[in-house]
Amino acid sequence: MDSRLLNILLDSFPRILLPGLTMTLPLTAIAFSIAMVIAVAAALAQFARVPVITQICRLYIWIFRGTPLLVQLFVVFYGLTKVGITLAPFPAAVLVFSLNEGAYCAETVRASLEAVPAGQLEAGLCAGLSYLQTMRRIILPQAMRTAFPSLSNSLIAMVKDTSLAANITVVEMFRATEQINARVYEPLALYIEVGLIYLLFSTVLTWLQRWGEKKLGAYEGRGV
Amino acid sequence: MLLQVENVRKSFGPLEVLKGVSLPVDRGDVVAILGPSGSGKTTLLRCVNFLERADGGTLTFDGERFDLSRVSRRDAARLRRRTAFVFQSYNLFLNKTALENVAEGLITARKIPRAEALDAARRALDKVGMLDRADHYPSQLSGGQQQRAAIARAIAAQPEIIYFDEPTSALDPELTGEVLSVMRQLADEGMTMLVVTHELGFARTVSSRTVFMEGGVVVESGPSRQMFESPREERTRAFLRTGA
Repeated sequence: MDSRLLNILLDSFPRILLPGLTMTLPLTAIAFSIAMVIAVAAALAQFARVPVITQICRLYIWIFRGTPLLVQLFVVFYGLTKVGITLAPFPAAVLVFSLNEGAYCAETVRASLEAVPAGQLEAGLCAGLSYLQTMRRIILPQAMRTAFPSLSNSLIAMVKDTSLAANITVVEMFRATEQINARVYEPLALYIEVGLIYLLFSTVLTWLQRWGEKKLGAYEGRGV
Repeated sequence: MLLQVENVRKSFGPLEVLKGVSLPVDRGDVVAILGPSGSGKTTLLRCVNFLERADGGTLTFDGERFDLSRVSRRDAARLRRRTAFVFQSYNLFLNKTALENVAEGLITARKIPRAEALDAARRALDKVGMLDRADHYPSQLSGGQQQRAAIARAIAAQPEIIYFDEPTSALDPELTGEVLSVMRQLADEGMTMLVVTHELGFARTVSSRTVFMEGGVVVESGPSRQMFESPREERTRAFLRTGA
């Protein structure tokens, strides 16, 4: 490797990592948190078969799972200005990623709720708990334990998917890399470099997932 | 009369499981419900605690009358705080330790202060011989231990009646004894119990009254001693002789 290339890589590293820490991670963290709220709410509504709301949830999930994320980003950021709704790039990205991820995770959580044995709900009701108390104290914690690996998977996928936000001018890691490349033209080295930084982020999340699973696994008799 | 169910009817699709069952339970009674599989005895118990919605019939509990086909969630929850239910498959809360299982209904449903609730939970676990397993999760307990913890959960709230749905049917023979002896102890202390069971020995020696059901109706009921010594119905006699 010649020294020019080495210098470019060393020089670009902090300039890619920084938007990773100030854009990619906050975008992921905020959007995933909102997605979790949406997912749990939509899953509970469907599980309890709340009329009307269940149908609205199905429609929402159908649309957001059935269309490309990139198309959703373009509709919200470029499209909505046509009807007078102009969003800044970051809020637009948060909105789209929350809704998109919420739709997928709602299905994960709903399936996990349905995997909890029916006797758990009956036991809660017979212990005098209300339906909502039983859901909150007994059913949901067990379902979230089941859903945890899948939700971790979704989170890791989302870290990488935020690179799509580059298309709506959010200067996150990938767009920052593109901008550096436009000046120095070293596409192979620079795109591998940003890829490795994504890999680093994913690796940390994978460790966190393992640690979390171990903690949550206590009640299943898999050691404490 | 603590409990009086009258004319309970329930169908699952075309299958009529309960064809108008009536049953009185006095305070202090231990009533055993016997009958072959498919006789409707478990469904009856589940209707009485609103786990199944009956198609018709009434429940009078401590003088208050409910229409079993349209009891409100609120009334159901209110009544359930005065009763307890022990399941065939234990149904301990899998995400909670034995102690937390027992305390949950006290803290969350009955708003008893945490420290007081945990004390009561420990006393209940002690009574069923499970205090040394208080911090174990259900997955770390044997079937018999789980069922004893479930009985502790039932008694901790000092219910006016405990419903038992085939409490020993999921247990190995060597584990049924420890559960039956806990139930016998409760009966001796005057707890009102309504017990769906296959244990003829328990019905004969512990229950004060025995009800024999078949095909969704009560075939015969009476004091257990008389039922076992001189059943009136031929069908009852055959069942008590062969257990089927």
